[in-house]
Amino acid sequence: MSAPDFYFAVNATARHIHDRYGKDVLIEYWRSLGREYYAARAKRWQLGGAQAIADDWTEYFLHEPNADVTAIAADRIVHMDISVCPAIKHLRDCGREIVPYFCEHCDHTCGAMAERAGFTFVRSGGMGSCRQSFYPTSLKPDEG
Amino acid sequence: MLGCQDFCGYYEWTFHYLRRRFGEAALAEYWSDAIAADSQRHYLDAARTEGLRGLYKTWAQTGVDEVCDWTVTLDEPSNLLRLDMRECPSKGYLLSNDLNADEDYCDHCMGWIGPALHQIGAEVAAHEHNHCGQCWWEIRNVAAEQPPIEVASDIRRDPRWSIGYLDRYSHQEKLPIVADSDRIDSVDVLRDWFASSTRIVALGANAQLPASSRADAVIVSGGRYALGDLEQVSSVLVEHIPELLPAIARVYRARKVRPLLVHPYLPQQPRLDFVEHQLPRATPILPLLIRSGAYCHHAGQATPGFYALAAMLAAALQKSLVLPDDVDATTLVHNSQASQTPV
Repeated sequence: MSAPDFYFAVNATARHIHDRYGKDVLIEYWRSLGREYYAARAKRWQLGGAQAIADDWTEYFLHEPNADVTAIAADRIVHMDISVCPAIKHLRDCGREIVPYFCEHCDHTCGAMAERAGFTFVRSGGMGSCRQSFYPTSLKPDEG
Repeated sequence: MLGCQDFCGYYEWTFHYLRRRFGEAALAEYWSDAIAADSQRHYLDAARTEGLRGLYKTWAQTGVDEVCDWTVTLDEPSNLLRLDMRECPSKGYLLSNDLNADEDYCDHCMGWIGPALHQIGAEVAAHEHNHCGQCWWEIRNVAAEQPPIEVASDIRRDPRWSIGYLDRYSHQEKLPIVADSDRIDSVDVLRDWFASSTRIVALGANAQLPASSRADAVIVSGGRYALGDLEQVSSVLVEHIPELLPAIARVYRARKVRPLLVHPYLPQQPRLDFVEHQLPRATPILPLLIRSGAYCHHAGQATPGFYALAAMLAAALQKSLVLPDDVDATTLVHNSQASQTPV
């Protein structure tokens, strides 16, 4: 059930927690979500390594409407190029006001999952297209 | 990225996060402010423009997007927009993926629809859901007549309606969850039922009642109760075994003083049809166990047995638990410990 209007709720939830409880709580919410709700997924990343992460995201984005994403694993590192972020696209297409910190949910939720799996998550770009990378924690991102 | 394909899963997890960290009122505020007024504001826009017809069009589109198996009925002369859900895809996602982080996922619909309708002069005139993916709604303008209307698609005529347990609403107010009680929360029903006892005696299959248990609450498994030899039973914790229901029903109906039937309603276990056996729908125990922190559901985990559930129930009610001599209490600890990360 990939109904794109659910992106409205992702955006609204971030706004509500930010405005009601503050940015620190929002970050903790996102990180808890990564640690708890996605614990099993992070475990699979840990067991399968970079290729498992790339395969997981390739499969995931197949089910996100209008996503244009490639995920490639090489030398224990995953690089994911998000040419079209399906969430930002749908929110924009529907005229929704996107919270300026929307893209940070990836930093914190994916970041917490990556940490569990023994990786460091790095994002560059955002608000529609970005590059997301997963480096083994033993490797500094600038070495990749 | 937080996608839309698994949204219902982390949406439910979010309810639990807000509830455990900030309390029940915070969750109600979230549904009202974030969901009704922000995420779902296109419903409000449509209703302000076209009234019930606007809501009908918006819900019809949602039904297409979310692949709902339902019937949406608009009868404007009768001031009625009615929804009859045969298989809720949202609850269905949780059931099929063995997800049950929060006490009651189904509450969220009333949580946002109620406040949204209030803003436009309409209301949920009547609503029931059975926590298994079936529900019905009557949405009407408050200021107009609300004549009773029957619809052919009424989900209550569907055999699936008799599974699960019901939450019921009238004019946006929640109604008592069980007969002969004014309690609208299953947690209060359970606390009331066991209030007069300080100890709970648990009896599973073949266990015998201890001699000195007069002042105790006795909770038995469905299989034990079905033997029919116990008079002093406070509550029956019915297992997820449909085959036990006929025997349980025979004993239950033969008693003048009847126990409270309780049941875990775990997501991927067989669903029991209490109504078919002329039994009251059992009171759910998971909301109490989750709220108290006695239980945390993890997809794919082993299903807790009768004694583990009884131990969690006693812990949640802050009662001492008495077990048969041959049951090792230490083996129950693993099953009954919540393991989520505290926040």
